[in-house]
Amino acid sequence: MATDQDEFLRATMGAMDLVFSLSRRLTNSRQDAEDLVQDTFLRAFRAWTDHRRPKKVEPWLATICLNLARSGYRTRARRPSEVPFEEWMVEPRPGEDPESRAVGEIEREKLYRAMRELPEEQRVAITLVDLSGFSTHEAAEAMGTPRGTVLSRLHRGRRALARLLGDRIEEVSR
Amino acid sequence: MMRWMRQGFWRRPHDPERNAAEYVTGELGRRATRWFEAHLLHCEDCWREVLLGRLGRRVAEEAREPASAGLRDRVRAAVQFTSEGGPAGPSEPSST
Repeated sequence: MATDQDEFLRATMGAMDLVFSLSRRLTNSRQDAEDLVQDTFLRAFRAWTDHRRPKKVEPWLATICLNLARSGYRTRARRPSEVPFEEWMVEPRPGEDPESRAVGEIEREKLYRAMRELPEEQRVAITLVDLSGFSTHEAAEAMGTPRGTVLSRLHRGRRALARLLGDRIEEVSR
Repeated sequence: MMRWMRQGFWRRPHDPERNAAEYVTGELGRRATRWFEAHLLHCEDCWREVLLGRLGRRVAEEAREPASAGLRDRVRAAVQFTSEGGPAGPSEPSST
């Protein structure tokens, strides 16, 4: 017979990437992000064993993660970043030539920096909708804001990121 | 009455940001999409916002980062430890 633990892990582990992506955008380092992921799953497991089980796991976990980030991780999030530059580099893909890899690394680093510079509410809206595939209704529920506000944050965040790609297109076409 | 008519997509105030956000996210119904695409042909503001929204979404999608196998193992172990009577994770109040 499946235990609570088995059922919980089966239902939630598929959402790990989503929670990690969200945590990564809410904290300043990989270490803090991983701590936040673990705390999110433990909090969710506690609710699960109290028979508070969601219809959809992803928005539920995202809400727990956001609430934890707003409380316990807020202080840490304000702390200046101690992340070494290398941490923002993407892992090299096998077979990729060094030049492409170098370009990829620069772009990825620029991308993360641009994401970190977005206001938190825009970053969260983008993470939920564009990275995690939430509808704007689901994102609004997770963020506790009206859908219109989510649409506005989403678009402003996208517009800020578009400037990054715009710069790259100009550089490439020069 | 159809959803797009009830919501009065084109009857609400002209809001290029909101229109672009809904369109780029793919949340307009089929008829509202057709109407909006026709509108785009002669509305410079909406056209510009759609282009920026699409570019921004492409950039955002590049930021996907999968969780490591190590993190998966760590979370599994933490849940297992908790279910065996260990401390039950963070104690701060949170809506679940």
